[in-house]
Amino acid sequence: MKKRGRGIAAAYYGTGYGNGFPDVSRARAEISKDGNIFIYIGATEVGQGAKTIFCQITAEILGVETQDIHFVCEDTSQTPDAGTAAASRQTYNSGNAVKKAAESLSQRLMEQAQNHLQLNSVHGLKLENHWVYLEDFPKKRVHFKELVKEDTLIVEETFTAQTVKMDEETGEGAPYWPYTFCCYGVEVEVDTETGEIHVIHGVCAQDVGKAINPELIEGQIEGGFAMGLGYGLMENIGLSKGEIKHNRFANYLIPTALDVPELEKIIVEDPSSTGPFGAKGIGEPVMIPAAPAILNAIYDAIGIRFYEIPVTPERVLVAIKDAQKEGKE
Amino acid sequence: MISISLTVNKQVYQVEVEEDLRLIDFIRDKLMLTGTKEGCGEGECGACTIIMDGKTVNSCLVMAFQAHGSRITTIEGVAKDGALHPIQQAFLDVGAVQCGFCTPGMVLSAKALLDENEVPNRHQIREGISGNLCRCTGYNKIVDAIELASSYIKEGQQDETSSSGRQ
Repeated sequence: MKKRGRGIAAAYYGTGYGNGFPDVSRARAEISKDGNIFIYIGATEVGQGAKTIFCQITAEILGVETQDIHFVCEDTSQTPDAGTAAASRQTYNSGNAVKKAAESLSQRLMEQAQNHLQLNSVHGLKLENHWVYLEDFPKKRVHFKELVKEDTLIVEETFTAQTVKMDEETGEGAPYWPYTFCCYGVEVEVDTETGEIHVIHGVCAQDVGKAINPELIEGQIEGGFAMGLGYGLMENIGLSKGEIKHNRFANYLIPTALDVPELEKIIVEDPSSTGPFGAKGIGEPVMIPAAPAILNAIYDAIGIRFYEIPVTPERVLVAIKDAQKEGKE
Repeated sequence: MISISLTVNKQVYQVEVEEDLRLIDFIRDKLMLTGTKEGCGEGECGACTIIMDGKTVNSCLVMAFQAHGSRITTIEGVAKDGALHPIQQAFLDVGAVQCGFCTPGMVLSAKALLDENEVPNRHQIREGISGNLCRCTGYNKIVDAIELASSYIKEGQQDETSSSGRQ
């Protein structure tokens, strides 16, 4: 018989290295003599979209288009260290470093423009489309190229996240900054004859602080959900005496396109006071509520609580048999 | 050595290959078409998918000599005259690419599917790419992209007929 059930799960997640560990990102911004804008940062792009949002952040600050930014990352001979693409920290930590570098560059451009235009101060200057101009009197303007024709303008900035080590005795402290929140709901169908579980629908609500790039966020949510689904239902490394027995895709199963349901994504924006434009990291949080929501839905469907993952068909059948036995006794 | 002749991306090759050379190694190392990726090397992940005589195959499981006389399309042969194939365009427009390692295989599986069934439903699309594993995207946007590609292809055909009608 096929039985359906629904479940939800919520999670909160502290992003960054946390617990007092130094969490530092550095970024360098340059405008070369020919007016080209460069960002150098050691942050690694692994498909999550870091490159895209760093260009967006820079473009926003300097008043240019995203495609105007020459972005250099990963090459350690050219880029300042920005830590690992881990702990869901690149948007927040390196995003802040990029923002600081772009702001610093913007400030330098305005100072040069003040000299060039013989103004009393930098107040009221605006950057747009590679020009610096006085907002109240736009005729007072100078092109970026004019300001850098003598010397390349280079600035480097560092962002260090604020985290406090927890007290080992009391467990008190502020180990992470910031936290990210999410809640997923799923509907599953359990086949009581075969033990197979099919997740037929999922709704994912994710707090992101500020969505710098909603399309990329949706991609992260969908990928995280699929990983969480695999974690809850199929992925088992089969550790035996320190040896991984399931060391290939033939026996370590991950979800295919037929296993992952259509997902409804809800992006919740509540800007974080310390994030770049209020943004926070979501790389790992998006994975967390999937498995517990699925296990709750399984309980709703067949009345059995599982305390071990993955909930494979074999485990479901054994549990159903055990439950029937207990019922009879 | 065995001498074989085959067509890859509309180009005919007459070559001598080692008997134990896999088709993926022929494609990547001899033809230098490195868009075809090797993931697991045992036919589970689909990263090395190519189209051989109209059907998708895992090029890691085919020996080069078995491709004798066949017509092969790799990811490099999908774009036409420098313009992206509608499937490639749709992948970009939807944001269906994250790390990108599965993407060439996904695009070719999608092409083989759309060549046979111009307007697949979402379940048929999921079936069509079920031999291609993706760890990043959760597949949702890939399914969206293939659905969009299907509409691009239909629109393209309409444009062609309407423009030829005008002539």
